[in-house]
Amino acid sequence: MTDNNDETRQRDGGSVTTVDRDFSQSGHRDGTNETASTFAGEELVIGYSSTEEPVIEEASIHVTPGEVTALVGPNGSGKSTLLKGLADQLSRDSGTVRLDGTGIDELSTKELARKLGLLSQENVSPDSLSVEKLVEHGRYPHRGFFDSLTDADQAAIDRAISLSGIDHLREREVGSLSGGQKQLVWIAMVLAQETGVLLLDEPTTFLDLHHQLEVMEIVETLRDESDITVVLVLHDIDQAARYADHMVALKDGAIYARGSPEEMITEKLLADVFEIDARVEQTDRGPRIEPLRPHHDDGKTEKRETAVAEQPIEPAREEIESRGRSDYTEHVNN
Amino acid sequence: MRERWLGWIDGSLLALVFASVAVVVVAGLIQVSFGAFSMSIAQAWQAVFNPDVLLNPKALEAFFLGGEIPEMGRRSLIVWNIRLPRVLVGAFVGMNLAVSGAIFQAVTRNELASPFILGVSSGAGLMILLTLVVFSGLSAILPLIAAIGGAIAFLIVYFIAWKNGTSPIRLVLAGVIVSTVLGSVQTGLFFFADDLGVVQSAISWTTGSLTGTDWEQVRMVLPWTGVAMALALVSARQLNVLLLGESTAKSLGMSVERVRFALSGVAVLAAAASIAAAGIVGFVGLIVPHMVRNIVGSDYKKLVIGCVFVGPALMVAADVGARLALSPVQIPVGIVTGLIGGPYFLYLMRKQDNMGEI
Repeated sequence: MTDNNDETRQRDGGSVTTVDRDFSQSGHRDGTNETASTFAGEELVIGYSSTEEPVIEEASIHVTPGEVTALVGPNGSGKSTLLKGLADQLSRDSGTVRLDGTGIDELSTKELARKLGLLSQENVSPDSLSVEKLVEHGRYPHRGFFDSLTDADQAAIDRAISLSGIDHLREREVGSLSGGQKQLVWIAMVLAQETGVLLLDEPTTFLDLHHQLEVMEIVETLRDESDITVVLVLHDIDQAARYADHMVALKDGAIYARGSPEEMITEKLLADVFEIDARVEQTDRGPRIEPLRPHHDDGKTEKRETAVAEQPIEPAREEIESRGRSDYTEHVNN
Repeated sequence: MRERWLGWIDGSLLALVFASVAVVVVAGLIQVSFGAFSMSIAQAWQAVFNPDVLLNPKALEAFFLGGEIPEMGRRSLIVWNIRLPRVLVGAFVGMNLAVSGAIFQAVTRNELASPFILGVSSGAGLMILLTLVVFSGLSAILPLIAAIGGAIAFLIVYFIAWKNGTSPIRLVLAGVIVSTVLGSVQTGLFFFADDLGVVQSAISWTTGSLTGTDWEQVRMVLPWTGVAMALALVSARQLNVLLLGESTAKSLGMSVERVRFALSGVAVLAAAASIAAAGIVGFVGLIVPHMVRNIVGSDYKKLVIGCVFVGPALMVAADVGARLALSPVQIPVGIVTGLIGGPYFLYLMRKQDNMGEI
């Protein structure tokens, strides 16, 4: 249960100068989140039973409580695998995931589900199920075997439905909804779980623009009005830059860099991680990326574009440096 | 909680329940009226509701708990002692098969699953043949052996399918393979049957028959039916969550493997109870959940209740055909359910665009 306390949170204007690699102490905002869940994965090695080599090798991630962290990276970089490992959906070969200081292996599946919610990339449900019934399943971890729905459960369901903006769909059958509407319903189900930590696996992929914005608006609301710690995998790096407080870039199963969107979205990072030439423009909605062309395997990069990339990188870099953050990336050994 | 207790019962479910009860009553009356000793519907009705039997604790005790049957009229004796128990056994068998099928369809998340999908029928069938052909001394406890055989086959299937956990597709494949192997052994055993009577008996067990069922079968099947139905009803929410797929169920805090195994166990119990009473009756467990789902939707709370009523309706009606259609010859009821079920299933297949996943 997270209360929506009314404290006003503002992004601090660079007044904090301490640089700490551990984001849980970076003091990104004035309002610290004492009630927000802490969530961290330490030295995670995660793989699938079908392959010998683990997909994620020794990745550590500390998520800032109460804020939104986006995992980005190219296809096959392991971002979804990392998320599944954090959610205990994939068994870890080694490493620990800690939730509020407790290793998640010490929690029963039900206890974990009361604290950590996961929206998978693909979801299935019977077509004839009503929207409200599906959202009701989000209360599963809070109910005993014989418990019927309590008023508290009903209240949580109503909150989740209204937060997801699907009041008008309540009585509809899930099978009759569009892909975007379905996604909102699934998000409502995870919200009804009322967990302190929420993991979303590519919540906007395959959605039309309208529903992408709807989904990200929910994330924004969670960021601004609740203590929920959100970690999401995003395919769209523009979206990550716009809505996340922190970004973690993965490449080849390792964490390549992490930082705020302003720090992270640079032409160099895009070249290194995504292997593209791109132009980055700072706007008041955060950095905006204009992808230009992919790097090819033969290593040929066209001179003209390299010249563009070498232009001095605009205010962001200076601003970062003025905050004393000279090193914006943190490389993790493979 | 506001009207939540019964708020989920809707018109379609009520209509289905009433229609099923009507079918059971009509088919049951036909069953008790006709036969070698014929009587009119009115006479049969009188015999069924004969207060001397119905309100006689001794008679009821004799029927439901076993014991000496008190004196009663000839009609009452025929109706109560011979014809009615067959109707009751049919109803319980239908109930068990329908609910068992509904559970297996949720566990495997496959509409085409039936109580016998996970090797249960082949295991039971093999044990039946072994008992009749090889260990004929054990034929007194044949029903029990058949049920045990079904349960063992299920465990073997589960064991084969297990590799860091199971998956619906692995379970179904393992079921098919185990069934095929055990089926071959069954067919092989037929060659060692030296007596036509044994072969006929084996066929009637492996196709499912209610011929000759008695209060003894009622007494045997009733408690297990009660247990299995109660467990299925209270597990409705677990079944609903299983339908959301493994990863969602897990992220909602379900111990998927444990729940899946436990629910399969309930379904095997129900199937085994029906096998013990009537042998392996096909198609009921496959089509009844399907019919009910088409009418009330996929919510297992309603689906299980629907199955509890529609299963008996189909089974009792089919048994009318099995007992009276070719009178005086009685055919195994499994043949009739196959003849009804097969075409109905084909019709569904033609009508629905996609079948398979629930």
